[in-house]
Amino acid sequence: MNERIRVGEDLAAALSEPSGPVFQAIPTDDTWEACVSELTEAYEMSRRAVEAGEPLVYVVHNDDLLGRRGAGAAMVATGLLSAARTLALETAREGIPVNVIAIDDETAVERLAIWVGRLLESGGPTGELVHLTAGHLGKALA
Amino acid sequence: MSEGRIAVVTGAARGIGRTIGDCLVATGYTVIGVDVSDQLAETDFDPVQADLTTDGGLDAVSERVDTIDGNLHLLVNNAGITRDARLVNMARDEFTAVLEVNLGAVFRLSTRLRDDIVTGGSIVNMASRAYLGNFGQFNYSMSKGGVVGLTRAMALELAPRVRVNAIAPGLIATEMSMGIPDDIRGKMVDAIPMGRMGEPDEIADTVLFLAGAGYITGHVIVVDGGRSLSR
Repeated sequence: MNERIRVGEDLAAALSEPSGPVFQAIPTDDTWEACVSELTEAYEMSRRAVEAGEPLVYVVHNDDLLGRRGAGAAMVATGLLSAARTLALETAREGIPVNVIAIDDETAVERLAIWVGRLLESGGPTGELVHLTAGHLGKALA
Repeated sequence: MSEGRIAVVTGAARGIGRTIGDCLVATGYTVIGVDVSDQLAETDFDPVQADLTTDGGLDAVSERVDTIDGNLHLLVNNAGITRDARLVNMARDEFTAVLEVNLGAVFRLSTRLRDDIVTGGSIVNMASRAYLGNFGQFNYSMSKGGVVGLTRAMALELAPRVRVNAIAPGLIATEMSMGIPDDIRGKMVDAIPMGRMGEPDEIADTVLFLAGAGYITGHVIVVDGGRSLSR
């Protein structure tokens, strides 16, 4: 796998040459060891991206933002969202976008790949959470 | 066992945690105060000096809960640290240390004590306004965002028996914040619509509110004087 993408197999196949790093949260079991391993991998990829001046996209599951699939997956998803907002603040002056995409089980991987590509373009939005699902509507997300 | 109400408060030796513990004592709780420092001797708490990133520290707290007279009504996960730097300058050990204390210890202690909390009891987790994003705090922001997710997940898992909520404080007048250079702290206060730092007892009041708010679970209350709205 391209070392600049840490994503599920379907998305990897759809993302042949992304113009920046992409990190997709992989569901973890509810152990701290699994959770901190996932977040540490995100830290390392994010730091490499910042050092290279590259845009960055995290992909999370909407159910995990709401805590529906267990504590481990929730800590990873919401941790990445907050990290993305902070990193967007740190890279805004350089015009480097950092964003998060929330999906659900029905999100087509081709659609996800298109949005990853859009959010990796320079001059686009930064610090945003883009939902490719309607599952967030009427729910408590911030 | 008596009908006494027990609360566990982490990071209880000073700052916000100390004030939360004092307020809970004043309202009739017996407080098990947990801290890595030895300053707990100066408090009215039942002290447990423990490092919550270790199994031994977690064991010490759960053993005290098991042996103390009363019922566990409230767990306040307040302990936290900062190791601020822009991500480009943030060392891995600075990242890991903050994650382990601010998120790992909250998850592991809550998991340990969840079955000890009585029906109708609650957990209050200390997040931070930084979960909305804060320059130079990739590690801290991630950890506090994780606390928000943990709060939501545990709220769903433990309902209807136990409620789980979080508080996201902004700049609060503690020893730590008073250590910020005056000119920088002044600029921070200027950005707060309420025109002042928050007081620790305003966070303690929010803990007491959530402890008694029987129909609120899985939410975050931002207590920041309006800072999350201003420029």
